[in-house]
Amino acid sequence: MNRRLLETDVVVVGGGVTGVAVLRDLALRGVDAVLVERFDLGTGTSGRWHGLLHSGARYAVRDQESARECIDENTILRRVAPHTIEDVGGLFVLLPGDDEGYAAQFVEGCRASGIATEELSAAAARRREPLLAPDVKLAFGVPDGGIDSWALLRSMAADAERRGCRVLVRHPVTGFERDGDRITAVRVHDLVAGEDRTIGCRWVVNAAGAWAGEIGRMAGVPIRMIAGKGVMVVMASRYVRGVVNACRKPADGDIIVPQHEVAILGTTSEQVQSPDDIAVPPAHVDRMVDMCAQMVPAIASGRVLRAFAGSRPLYQPESADGDGAAGGGDTRAVTRTFTVLDHADRDGLVNLLSIVGGKLTTCRQMAEKLVDRLAERMGVTEPCRTATEVLPGADHGPHRLAEPLARVEREAAYGELVCECELVTGGQVRAAVADGLSELEDLRRRLRLGYGPCQAAFCAWRAAGILAERPPEGSAEGSGEPEPLAGLERFLEERWRGQRATTWGDQARQALLNHAIYRGIFDLRGSGRPDEAAAANRPAVQPGEGDPTRRVGDELVGDSDGRTSSRAGDD
Amino acid sequence: MPADAVVVVGAGPAGLAAAVRLAEGGHQVRLIARGNGFTHWGAGAVDLLGRVRGERVERPLEAIGQLPADHPYRLVGEAAVRDGLDWFTRFAAAAGLAHAGDPERNRDQVTALGTMRPTCLLPAPAAGPFRSGRVAVVNFEGFRDFSPALCALGLRRAGVDAFPATAPLPSWNHERYFTAVELAQAIDDDGFRRRLAPGIARVAAGAEAVLVPAVLGVRRGHEPWADLERLVGASLVEAAIPPPSVPGLRLFTAYRARLDTLGVRWQFGFPAVGIERDGDRVTALRSEGASRVIVTRCRELVLATGGVAGHGIEANRDGTLAEVVAGLPVARFADRLGFLADRFLGEHPLGAAGVRVDAELRPLHASGEPVFANVRCVGGLLAGHDPTVEGSREGVALATAARAAELLAATPVS
Repeated sequence: MNRRLLETDVVVVGGGVTGVAVLRDLALRGVDAVLVERFDLGTGTSGRWHGLLHSGARYAVRDQESARECIDENTILRRVAPHTIEDVGGLFVLLPGDDEGYAAQFVEGCRASGIATEELSAAAARRREPLLAPDVKLAFGVPDGGIDSWALLRSMAADAERRGCRVLVRHPVTGFERDGDRITAVRVHDLVAGEDRTIGCRWVVNAAGAWAGEIGRMAGVPIRMIAGKGVMVVMASRYVRGVVNACRKPADGDIIVPQHEVAILGTTSEQVQSPDDIAVPPAHVDRMVDMCAQMVPAIASGRVLRAFAGSRPLYQPESADGDGAAGGGDTRAVTRTFTVLDHADRDGLVNLLSIVGGKLTTCRQMAEKLVDRLAERMGVTEPCRTATEVLPGADHGPHRLAEPLARVEREAAYGELVCECELVTGGQVRAAVADGLSELEDLRRRLRLGYGPCQAAFCAWRAAGILAERPPEGSAEGSGEPEPLAGLERFLEERWRGQRATTWGDQARQALLNHAIYRGIFDLRGSGRPDEAAAANRPAVQPGEGDPTRRVGDELVGDSDGRTSSRAGDD
Repeated sequence: MPADAVVVVGAGPAGLAAAVRLAEGGHQVRLIARGNGFTHWGAGAVDLLGRVRGERVERPLEAIGQLPADHPYRLVGEAAVRDGLDWFTRFAAAAGLAHAGDPERNRDQVTALGTMRPTCLLPAPAAGPFRSGRVAVVNFEGFRDFSPALCALGLRRAGVDAFPATAPLPSWNHERYFTAVELAQAIDDDGFRRRLAPGIARVAAGAEAVLVPAVLGVRRGHEPWADLERLVGASLVEAAIPPPSVPGLRLFTAYRARLDTLGVRWQFGFPAVGIERDGDRVTALRSEGASRVIVTRCRELVLATGGVAGHGIEANRDGTLAEVVAGLPVARFADRLGFLADRFLGEHPLGAAGVRVDAELRPLHASGEPVFANVRCVGGLLAGHDPTVEGSREGVALATAARAAELLAATPVS
C-alpha cells in the first residue's frame, strides 16, 4: 500500500537539531513544511554527544571559522533558549608537560575569534574548580556552557508545530519520486502503521547529519560524509562546577562536561565505516577516564555509570583530496564548520538542498544559511527571525540544577519519590501516564527516571506499579490488560545497554545487586522474546486514528527498533 | 586478646550462622563485619536450590546430584546441607521465627510483582496458602514499595483470583514519608495493630486470603503477624518486597540476640583489610578501626565476606579479581567484558566468581594446594555457584557454615 499522505512545500529529512532548526526557521518565515525522522527526535548524533555549548575556544587555534560561528551562536542561544542551557562557564587548564607555546596560540586564537578569555593562576583556578589536579599550572576561563539538546529539540519542534508545520517521527525515508530534474515526492515508511506512504512536495532539505550521504544516494546525488565516531563516558557525579578542557591540541579524553547530576567525559575521534557503528571498546573508556583524571584526579577512582558513542556529521568536500578511504584515522583534522549544498548547481537536481557538517552549537545558524538559500530559490522574502524570536519555555528562565530538589521541597513530596537518584515523584509519573505515556522508556526520557547511579534498581518497578494502575486500554475482554512486567523487562534490558564496558568496582557490585533484586527476589528471567520483536509489539497509535502527525511538543515517543535513544549525553 | 579465638569475618547469612554455631560448639568467637549482608538484601526466605540450568527444581536435595563436582553443595555433601537447614529451622523457631518447609521439596514464595519464586523454607507469615479462592492484594496507604495493582495483575496471570486494594493507615508520626522498616516498627505496636486491622478487613471483604507486603512487624518475631491475622479474621500472607527485607531484619535481630547470649564479641562497621601470617597459618586479622587498624589474633579464621556483590571480592577494571581480606587466589577474566552477560536478566559470570576451596573449605592455590591450613571460606565467597541464578544463597550459607562448625569441632577449644 502506498498512499499519498500529505502535500507540502518543503520536506525536511532528519529529526536532529539541524533538521528541527530548519523546520522552525521555515515555520517562522511562513513556509509550510513537514519533517520526517526515521526513529525519534534526537536519536542520532543530537542525542549522543557530550552536551557542550561551545564557546568556540576548542577551535580557536586550528579552525577559527568554526570558533567564530560558535561564539556567535553561543551568545544567541543564551538569549533565545536560556532554559536549555547550564550557564556554568568553562576552563582550559594547562598541565605539566603541556606546551606553553600552545597556550599562547590559544589566547591569541580566542582573541582573533572574539572569544573572551580570563587568565587564572593555579590557585585561582583551583578556587573555581576545587577538584582540579594540584599540579595545574595555569588556566583560562571561557564562556563554555552545557546545553540539553533534548530540551532544545522539544522547544524548537513545539514552536514549529504551533506555527503549522508538522513532525513525523518513525517515518524513515525509503526513496524519492522524480520527474526529470525535480523531486516530486518523498517516499516514507510509517513504522507505526507498517505502511509505505508518499509526501508530495516542491522542495526537499536533506538534514540527515551523519546519514546525509545515505539520503543523497537515494536521491542520486553523491555526498561524501565521513563517519567520525566519538566515545563518551558518563560519571556518577558532576565533579566539576563548569566545563573543564585540556589546553592542548584536541585529543582523546580532554574534556569534562557537567550535565544535570552527572559528568560526561569526552571524547575519542575515530573514522569508522558507518555512522551506525556506535560500539564502545573498553579500551576507549579506560583512556578517557585516565586522561580526564589527569585534570581531575578524583575521576580515577570514581564510579562510571555507562558509556556511549555518537557519530559526527563530518563532510569531505569533493575537492579536498583524492579518494579519502574510510577507516581508522583521526577525524579531528576535518573542519567542524558546515556547508550548504545546492544540488541544482552541483548535480542538476533542482529542488534538493543538503546541509552537512557543523555541530549542535551552530544548528540555528546552519538552518539560517540553508533556509536563506532555499527562500531565495522559492521566492520567499521573509527574513530569518530565529536569532531574536525566543523559544517557548524560555520564560521559565535559565536552567537551574537544583530545581528538582526545590520542587520536591516546595511540594513536600519526599514520601512520593519514585526515583531517589533523580528526584522523580509519583505525581510526576502519574501526570505523564495521564498524558498517555505507557512505556518506562518514555518516562525515562520525559522525567530522567533511571538515570542515576543505581541504574533503575528501585524506580523501575515502582514506576511499573504506577503504570499497572492504569485502566485497561480498550474494552475487549482479556486483551486490554497492560503488560507491565514485559515493559519492565524491556526497560531493564534497555538500561543494560551501554553498561557492560563500564562495569567494574562499585558499579559491578551495583549490577549484581540489581540482578539479585530483579532476577533473585522478583524471579524475572526475561520474556525469551528478542528485544526488537518485543519493542515492535508495543502498543502504538492505531493506523488511521486521528491526525497522522504525532505531537512531539513536549513528548518524545519511543523508537521502535530497540535502538537506544536518549537525551544529550547520557547514553 | 586471646590467640585461640575463632574469628569470623562477615555478618551475612553465612557469617551469622557460622558464628552462632561455632560459639554453640564452645569456641571463643569474634565476629567482625563491614556491614549488613544478604539478610537485608534477600527475599526473606531460605533458598536451597531453586533452578538448575534455568529449569525450576521441585526436589532440591535430589537436584544437588546434577550440580558440578566443585559446587559448594557437592564439596560439603548432602549431610551438611541437611544439617544446615535442620539447625536453622530449630534456631529460628526457638527465636520465635517458625519456618515452614523441608529440604525435600521446594515451595512458592509470592513476590510483590505477583511472581512465584521457588524457595525451600518460608517464614510462617509468608507460608500461608493463597492460591485457591479469592485473594485481596492489600497495600498500606502511602507505602510506595508495593503496588497492589501490579501484584494482582501478576497473580491473575498465574491463575489466581486476585484483586487490588489499599488499607488506610491509622494516624502515626510518619504520614508524609516512611520506609518498610518504619512501617514494620509501627506494626510492632499492639495499639497500632488494633487500629489498623479494621481497615484491612474492610477493603479485603470477601477475600479468603489477604496478601500484604512483608512489613508485619520487625522486633517481635512473628507475633505481630499472628496477632494481626486474628484481628483481621482472614489468612494474612506476606509477599517479598525489594530491599531492605523486613523478614531478613527479623532474622538478623534473632542472630544478634543469640550471639549476645553466647557471649560472642562483635565489631560492626569495620571492614577487614588484611591478615598476619606465620607460614601457612593466619595468626591475626587486621580490620579498620575508628582511627587505626585493629589487630585481632586468631587460631582459626572463617571468611564469610561474600562474593563481588557482598564486598568479599573486588572486580577490577583490567578483568582481574581480588579477594579483599587475605588476597586469596581468584580466577581472573580475560577482560571486564567477560564479567557480565549481554542481557541484564541473563546469567552473569561475575555472579559465580569466588574462591576455590577443598572439601574442608580451605582456599586453594591454582595448583590445588591449600593456601592456609587454618582458613575456611563459607557462603557467597565460594566459587562454583551463582546464588542469584540458582536460588541457593541461604542454603549454601547454612550448609557451609554447618561444615565449618563440624570441621572446627575437631580443633582444640579454649
